[in-house]
Amino acid sequence: MTVLSVQDLQVHYRTSRGVAQAVRGATFDVPEGQVVGVVGESGCGKTTLARAIMGVMPKTAHTAGGKLVFQGTDLLSLSPRELASKRWREIAFIPQSAMNSLDPVYRVGTQIAEVLVDRGGMDRKSAMRRAAELFDMVGLDVVRLRDFPHQYSGGMRQRAAIALALALEPKLVIADEPVTALDVIIQRQVLDTFKDLQKRLGLSVILITHDISVVAYASDRVVVMYAGEVIESGTTREVLQRPFHPYTMGLYKAFPELHGGGTLVPIEGTPPDLIDPPPACSFAERCPFVEAACREMKPALAPVASGSLAACRRSPEADRLRVLAGEASTWLRS
Amino acid sequence: MQGSSRLVGRLVLTLFVLWTVATILFLIFRLAPGSPLAAFVTPTFTAEQQESLTRQFGLDRSLFQQYLLYMSNLLQGNLGESFFYKRPVAEVVMTAFGNTIALTLGSLLVAYAFGVVMGAVFAWKRGTWIEGAGIPVVLVTRAAPEFWLGMVVLAIFAFSLGWFPGGGANSAGLTFSSEWARIFSLDFLRHLILPAFALALYLQGLPLLLMRTNMLEVMQEDFVTMARMKGLSNWAIVMRHAARNALLPVATAFALGIGQSVGGNVVVETVFSWPGLGRMLVEAVASSDYPLAQGAFLLITTVLVTMNFVADMLYSLLDPRIAHAGHR
Amino acid sequence: MRAIAETRAVRGTRRSFLVGLGRAFDLVRRDPFATAGILIYAVFLFVAIFADQLATHDPHQILYRANRRVASNLPPFGDHILGTTNLGRDIYSQLIYGARSALLVGISAAFAVVLIGTLVGLVAGFFRGWVDMVIMRVADVALGIPFLPFVIVLSSFLEPSMWNVVIGMALVVWPSTSRVIRSQVLSLRERTFVEAARVTGCSQARILFVHIAPNVLPLSFVYGSIAIGWAILTEASVSFLGFGPGNTVSWGSMLQNAYVSQALSRGWYHWFVPPGICIILVVVAGFFVSRGFEEVLFPKLRD
Repeated sequence: MTVLSVQDLQVHYRTSRGVAQAVRGATFDVPEGQVVGVVGESGCGKTTLARAIMGVMPKTAHTAGGKLVFQGTDLLSLSPRELASKRWREIAFIPQSAMNSLDPVYRVGTQIAEVLVDRGGMDRKSAMRRAAELFDMVGLDVVRLRDFPHQYSGGMRQRAAIALALALEPKLVIADEPVTALDVIIQRQVLDTFKDLQKRLGLSVILITHDISVVAYASDRVVVMYAGEVIESGTTREVLQRPFHPYTMGLYKAFPELHGGGTLVPIEGTPPDLIDPPPACSFAERCPFVEAACREMKPALAPVASGSLAACRRSPEADRLRVLAGEASTWLRS
Repeated sequence: MQGSSRLVGRLVLTLFVLWTVATILFLIFRLAPGSPLAAFVTPTFTAEQQESLTRQFGLDRSLFQQYLLYMSNLLQGNLGESFFYKRPVAEVVMTAFGNTIALTLGSLLVAYAFGVVMGAVFAWKRGTWIEGAGIPVVLVTRAAPEFWLGMVVLAIFAFSLGWFPGGGANSAGLTFSSEWARIFSLDFLRHLILPAFALALYLQGLPLLLMRTNMLEVMQEDFVTMARMKGLSNWAIVMRHAARNALLPVATAFALGIGQSVGGNVVVETVFSWPGLGRMLVEAVASSDYPLAQGAFLLITTVLVTMNFVADMLYSLLDPRIAHAGHR
Repeated sequence: MRAIAETRAVRGTRRSFLVGLGRAFDLVRRDPFATAGILIYAVFLFVAIFADQLATHDPHQILYRANRRVASNLPPFGDHILGTTNLGRDIYSQLIYGARSALLVGISAAFAVVLIGTLVGLVAGFFRGWVDMVIMRVADVALGIPFLPFVIVLSSFLEPSMWNVVIGMALVVWPSTSRVIRSQVLSLRERTFVEAARVTGCSQARILFVHIAPNVLPLSFVYGSIAIGWAILTEASVSFLGFGPGNTVSWGSMLQNAYVSQALSRGWYHWFVPPGICIILVVVAGFFVSRGFEEVLFPKLRD
């Protein structure tokens, strides 16, 4: 069962220089009860994607095409009122910085109760009871319900944000860099709690992160984004162990702790300008395996040998390229 | 714990400021060229009368002794006796104070209620003609001298149209059973409307612009975006989250405004012949009634300094980030 | 070699001049408000300088009609553009000369406030410690003094003069500038370029005045342009209350004359409306200019 199907989604931004195509035809599915990691560099459109699914975007942004089929209905065809009624009850959100996402002038408990009362139709008393239950679930002391956000530590805030997201028992949770602001040990603890709850509640999750080790640790499937496009997707196991797109290979190489040491090798260069994106493979300018044909035609996202999908002309040669990509010298420009 | 030590710190500072200003005032009045009595004492005074006056004000003693006397009198609330009214200054000043507070609070309440609502509207309607036309109008009212606004309002509504009385706080000849009865009488209200309106016209600009800027800033905050993601109603987002946060500095400005208006009303009170503290100060200074001038000035200062303190405390009370520090 | 260096320097200045001019035009286009503010200032400055040429009469002179009677209460738009006062003085000429005293008071007070405020703020922020402590307590005291009443009391002890307003403002209004400058300096002194200057052995004074001060000057200008308006308002209030100098014409004294001569109840709007509008224009110009500065300084405020 697919909970959410993102089909050829396009999101455009108005900027002073022109229209920026932040998401350019993203396509992937979120199967029920699974965690889909969306990974990519900052500016690749992953946060824009998350906000487009929530339907809450800056005034300058709008969806320019595609579909977001959530449990059989296209979210983009709904009226603002219908969309608002689905938010949080069906699709909830965990922000990167819970510090700024919690209102500083209300107690955390009050903010959880607000959602339960306003959106969940509970009365105040049962809302507070439910809030305590949620705090217990995410491993926070119930007395902390009476604290203000600034009195929390970073890890506690993210836990509170998880509790807030789970308040109305949504089908789908979008977590935008939920642990990025935390140090590594706390990251692991919060992720463990989250993972545990996800399994127990059978949640479907879109986990957005730039950190491929978070994806490796917490997600079942992975979607790799580059310059507003999905360039590879599949099960986490397959994509990380047998990447077919050079960018994924490079990304993997950039996180040495994943493959037991080795040197960190960043991918040189910068992504293309999204105001005037190239009609060819958008990774061509940075790709160590680029060929003349890569600069002429955009490769489609197509099935590859592992069962994943990848958008690379040279994916049939992936096994050989993967070996080359394993060497640091491949990534260093002469 | 932290909060209370902060409170004590601010309190000590407030007292220090009051004491310093009282001292400066003492020095101004005593060190000014000539005897402070010179302007008051006319040749018709007998030598005996002059001497008794000199003694009454302690002018025959050393400056330091005079200072000690002045301070101990102040602490007992003894502000001396007005030359002109021949009554204790404290008494004279308190009557005027009631009128001033009525005018100040009346105009501030109107100004802030209007300013807060319009500020939120301007923020909400950012980039529309409402904002485009409204902001210059607000800037003009803020740039206009209060007393000139008063003059125009007076000329139009009192003299040309004849809707309101042309000055004073009560009609001549009316008597009231008590001070409270006077202030809560319909007659008083009728006299209050015009000066309060003129003042409010001047005062509304600050809360309006403050509210607008704060709203614009708060609307950009992540927690407002989150509120939208939670599917909360526009009303809940704007009122419960944005406005509540944007109001913090406005509440502080209100408290500060009370303190500043009491002294700043001087000119408006004069235009409307409003028998308040400011007008009393002006008259006392003009007629060299220096105990009265000193008393009025000290009362104005006390209100200003106290309200500065209240504003400070109010801010920490309303902002949980300061009120509930610690406990991480 | 030297010639080349010189021409290069000349070209450099010319270019920076052109860049400056370009920026000014850019500002005009981007911020019509700031431009309007500067224009208003320019017009009033022109009027103040050439008041002698622009005025049609001596503002103090009592004018007479052909029949030797005092030319009092003449309506506007006749022989006298704005009519005459009840004592037969030309209102338009008073207005023109009023600009002179307004700008004189406004600019000197703003200069005094900004100079004191900036210096004190620089010193407090740079030296910190007990110097800062003492200065900030003095600032607290100054902020505890009710401004207008203070100027009134001051005026009654000093000779009536328009400088009383300047003195009063210099004594009481500097802390608001100081506080802002101080916090700016506190953050500037931690920056790398200051650190670099310190490491290379620059003297304290040099760091403060050469490296830090230029960075806070724009902020001083913001406060200066607001202070001009404030000073003019205060001068008007003080004159209106009758504590101004009797021998100079100012917008405030015009309003006082109008008020005591019952211009309000007689509906002589042409007497008391124009001075008010002049005051508003100058003060609004200050707002506009400071707003322009702010937008250049803190682009965050802009969308």
